Amino acid sequence: MRREPVGAVLVLGGGVSGMRAAVDLAEAGLRVYLVENRPWLGGRVAQLGYMFPTHDCVLCRGTSDHGYGCTRPSISPAFMDHNVHPNIEILTNTDLINLAGYAGDFTVTLRHRPTYVNAQRCINCGLCEGVCPVPLPSPFQVGMSARKAVYKMAPRALPDTYVVDKVPRCETCRRCETVCPTGAINLEEEEIERDLQVSAIILSLGYALSDPTEYEELGFGRFPNVIHSMQYERLASRSGPTEGVVMRPSDGKLPERIAWLQCVGSRDEKHPYCSSICCMYATKEAMLAKERTGNVHCQIFMMDERAFNKEFNAYYQQAQEEFGVEYTRCRISMVLEDPETHDLILRYPDEEGNFVEGRFDMVVLSVGALPPDGSRDLARLLGIELNPYGFCQTDKFAPLETSRPGIYVCGTFSSPKEIAETILDAAGAAGDVMRLLSDQVGERAFGREYPFLAEPGTLPPERDVDGEEPRIGVFVCRCYPSIAGIVDTDAVAEFAAGLPGVVHVETTDYACLEEGQALIKQTIEAQNLNRLVVAACSHRTHESLFQRIAREVGLNPYLVEVANIREHCAWSHMDDPRGATRTAKELVRLSVARAGLAEPVHRQAIEPTRGALVIGGGVSGMTAALNIADAGYDVMLVERQPGLGGNLQHIYYVVEGDNPQRLLRDLVNRVLGHQRIDVLTSSEVVSHEGSVGAFRSTVRTPGGEIPIEHGVTIVATGGQECRDEVYLLGQDERVVTSLDLEDIITHRPQQIENLKEVVFIQCVRPPGGVKYCSRTCCTNTMKNAARIKLLNPNCRVVVLYKDIITYGFREQYYTEARQRGVLFVRYDEEHMPQVRVDDEGELEVVAWEPSLKQEIVMHPGLLALSMAIQPSEGTERLAHILDVPLSSEGFFLESHLKMRPMDFAREGIFLCGMAHYPRFIEECITNAQAAAGRAITILATPKMYIGGVVSVVDQSKCVGCLTCVRTCPFDIPEVRYEDVGVGEIKGAAWIDPALCTGCGTCTGECPAKAIQLTAYRDDQILRLPLGAWGERVLS
Amino acid sequence: MAEHEGTNNGFEPEITVFTCIYCAYMAIDTAGALRINYPANVKLIKLPCTGKTDVRYLMEAFEQGADGVCVVGCPLGNCHHVHGNERGQARVKYTKQWLDDIGLGSDRLEMCFVSGGMGETFANAVREMAERLRELGPSPLK
Repeated sequence: MRREPVGAVLVLGGGVSGMRAAVDLAEAGLRVYLVENRPWLGGRVAQLGYMFPTHDCVLCRGTSDHGYGCTRPSISPAFMDHNVHPNIEILTNTDLINLAGYAGDFTVTLRHRPTYVNAQRCINCGLCEGVCPVPLPSPFQVGMSARKAVYKMAPRALPDTYVVDKVPRCETCRRCETVCPTGAINLEEEEIERDLQVSAIILSLGYALSDPTEYEELGFGRFPNVIHSMQYERLASRSGPTEGVVMRPSDGKLPERIAWLQCVGSRDEKHPYCSSICCMYATKEAMLAKERTGNVHCQIFMMDERAFNKEFNAYYQQAQEEFGVEYTRCRISMVLEDPETHDLILRYPDEEGNFVEGRFDMVVLSVGALPPDGSRDLARLLGIELNPYGFCQTDKFAPLETSRPGIYVCGTFSSPKEIAETILDAAGAAGDVMRLLSDQVGERAFGREYPFLAEPGTLPPERDVDGEEPRIGVFVCRCYPSIAGIVDTDAVAEFAAGLPGVVHVETTDYACLEEGQALIKQTIEAQNLNRLVVAACSHRTHESLFQRIAREVGLNPYLVEVANIREHCAWSHMDDPRGATRTAKELVRLSVARAGLAEPVHRQAIEPTRGALVIGGGVSGMTAALNIADAGYDVMLVERQPGLGGNLQHIYYVVEGDNPQRLLRDLVNRVLGHQRIDVLTSSEVVSHEGSVGAFRSTVRTPGGEIPIEHGVTIVATGGQECRDEVYLLGQDERVVTSLDLEDIITHRPQQIENLKEVVFIQCVRPPGGVKYCSRTCCTNTMKNAARIKLLNPNCRVVVLYKDIITYGFREQYYTEARQRGVLFVRYDEEHMPQVRVDDEGELEVVAWEPSLKQEIVMHPGLLALSMAIQPSEGTERLAHILDVPLSSEGFFLESHLKMRPMDFAREGIFLCGMAHYPRFIEECITNAQAAAGRAITILATPKMYIGGVVSVVDQSKCVGCLTCVRTCPFDIPEVRYEDVGVGEIKGAAWIDPALCTGCGTCTGECPAKAIQLTAYRDDQILRLPLGAWGERVLS
Repeated sequence: MAEHEGTNNGFEPEITVFTCIYCAYMAIDTAGALRINYPANVKLIKLPCTGKTDVRYLMEAFEQGADGVCVVGCPLGNCHHVHGNERGQARVKYTKQWLDDIGLGSDRLEMCFVSGGMGETFANAVREMAERLRELGPSPLK
């Protein structure tokens, strides 16, 4: 019997990819079950302190929400306890044990393993950990420090709770159970099985680290100072076992010489693929070491440096030139140890090619990525295919779908990849699911009217407090023994009662637990309070909870103040109860003052225009357009050329063997036939105004200019192969680009059959052009070289390269090319290949052979140049029209390289395909679906909320000095000529409330103080007790 | 507390800390969660970003009798609002100049940058500042 569809999605794996997919699906109005087999969310990224190439954390920038504070280890406040997205149910410590049904109607059986701690009642006081007698190695610190049997991964964990990793001794000990002040621990808890009906499944299982003990010769496990890269990450992390001080395990000495050995568990016989991330993370680790201690010698031993994404090449250059990180091309085959000092000895060739011995204090093995643990069994259970390496099998042109309909994959489970691409995958898989569940998208809508997420219509009308004198209620949470064990809460309450505006004071045992919440709500109503102060714990974890309960009884959430007397007071002054009590009083005094000055804040609701503008009709633009249209929204697709297809029109075969021309036909036919897509060819966008949900653009078409209103914009303008005159290109017809070669191989193969020699030169860019890796060229060269060998096995094929960048599973095509007899000769900046026509009229290529140390001269019948891929013509102009920035390479620059690779900082504009950076077809598809998915989250929102805590200009004070324009980190303020400033002058600043992020940076700088930040106005802050304390120390 | 009793006539400096709600707030939370203790001489005032730091807020704190003021933000290059902390830093520098000019002394104002895990660094900053202020004595504006 067919059941009603539920519009629910199971996301399996709670790392960054799972969290990204979950939050996008939830925003699109679908129900999400986020299942994680460990006790907490965060996955691998939770263990990483810094990201390359930005060296930042900024997980808080994963979504565009502002004003929630640090969200680590999650990417969004939507996962924070007490503020979890209404559409997301987080199920940790849970495994999938059975699957039945089909796409659209699956039944999954989940098994929740007991954690023995009720997360709803755990207040993180840590008493249990204190009494637990069982030490165990900490997996979060990769075994480098200890934890207890009852433990929390890190001070920041989601869910924010302790768990018991039950060992036999627990049965008789039970001290944690006894000591828990809220009765949250129950060692008798049993496992629970539960069936769920879901329509689709997304797998975001992550990856496992390759096992360095497999490489006995490298000494891991035998020599104490050989560690693996994840251990190094923890050592270098501020939250690591040494708080970021990298020390040698053998003696705690600060290392002076560190070596990184690349490709441990990658690019060898056992793991014949590239793990894609190690080159960059090793570079990052070396740079961090240099940053911390300038004189440390860092040497990276690698085969090729694979810096193949945006800004990576600049980063690699910076590591060498500014930081002095040394790169040595050598795969180290053995590590020796000096048994007395535990120093490590490596043998490698120096610059002249002579073998030398190097002594190092520490050796870091750059371990690669393996398929996630248990994925083989899970694949069998789910009925999905794995590829020969054990990762998830996907189709080139459907990169996010597994072999079973309705089950999608994202992140490293489909292939090793960095965070940015994991995020793209996840947003793309979510976008793909929105297409499958188009009839359910937008069904479970919620509102962002307040600082917490709420379903519309569930809250009572707001009480109007305008004109009322403040009636402040203060609740002092005892949180015994966390707070009341140190702070004299009764004294704090007594003190609070004497503060101006306070009409009610009460101490409560646990304000955050259900009973505490009920008490606060009842008291607000009974005492007719119009302001609330809760002196309890962290704003970060609990402010939204108290704001929500206040709103549930009609108080605007901005009339609520929290004083953190736990983390910021009791726990920080445990050795000084008198001082702690005094500080607590001062914090309460401050909060009461703040509450007294607080005013309600409201956001303005707008209904988004439910249509998208897609700029660019190549594979990315068409895919994005189809995804949005399939999900049920109208799309205007604008293409500059007379026909659709972009670069895909000139790609005839791919290395994997699929037929791109079939993809092209399929996409074009579906786009042209789709009811919801309007295509404008030979057309260009000439203006673009407004903000998210309400954009207005003008498109110039052959029939005149057309105005368009749209809620979102997708930029998919692509890239193009550079055709500048380098190496006789355009002057001699035997010199061709890689696209030209593909054309010859496809349409004039007989031309290949007569050739004796073909030379490829990789990394060709116009003179003076920015250096960056165009990412696709090496693999394209493998594909073309193999084709030439196939058509003409006697033809000598030589590839002149700098670094071979066949990342991920593309490594096999490099291996295959070598097996077919393609010759590879490395060149560098000092030994650039020379090309000329000799006296006989033959093409002559001269290259330096580094291992023979001599020049080689070749006379190829064809010279194929792997030309740089550049942004499309007009990219700069379009960036200006859209008011978005460009990267150092000239491509569009997204909001954040790692966390938001498909979003522009300017909300509602998304980026995909080669307009972002050169990439393969499958990557363009993923990226386009990611942009589409993000766009749908906006199109599916019933009401968008703008304004709130944003900067507001009082134009009657504005002199139009442009200080705010220069100060804003986001380029939001503008001085509009039509506005009138102080003294009736023409031109005054204006800040779009839809764009402002509320940081207040402009307000601090405005010389006329014409700009004020809502809820943080000067007249609110300057009237706070900013200086001397209310209660003096008696001396 | 006990260790400081008797120094400078039992003077306990009153320090106002302006903190952003991102890394800085988290670091202070971390200090608490790890029970890293620092002198009970600080009160925290949260701002959406240290870019919101206004010279007048700093001066007002001194005028109202604060013995010291500390601004705590995200590490440079890691600001939630990209460059807000750099703006805050510029204003703190500027204010320090004023403090020297009016004779209150720039030693009474600090800015530090911490990432969420750096509870110990924050605690150290407070310890150092409290120690310094004990030596400097109460603010003459008190």
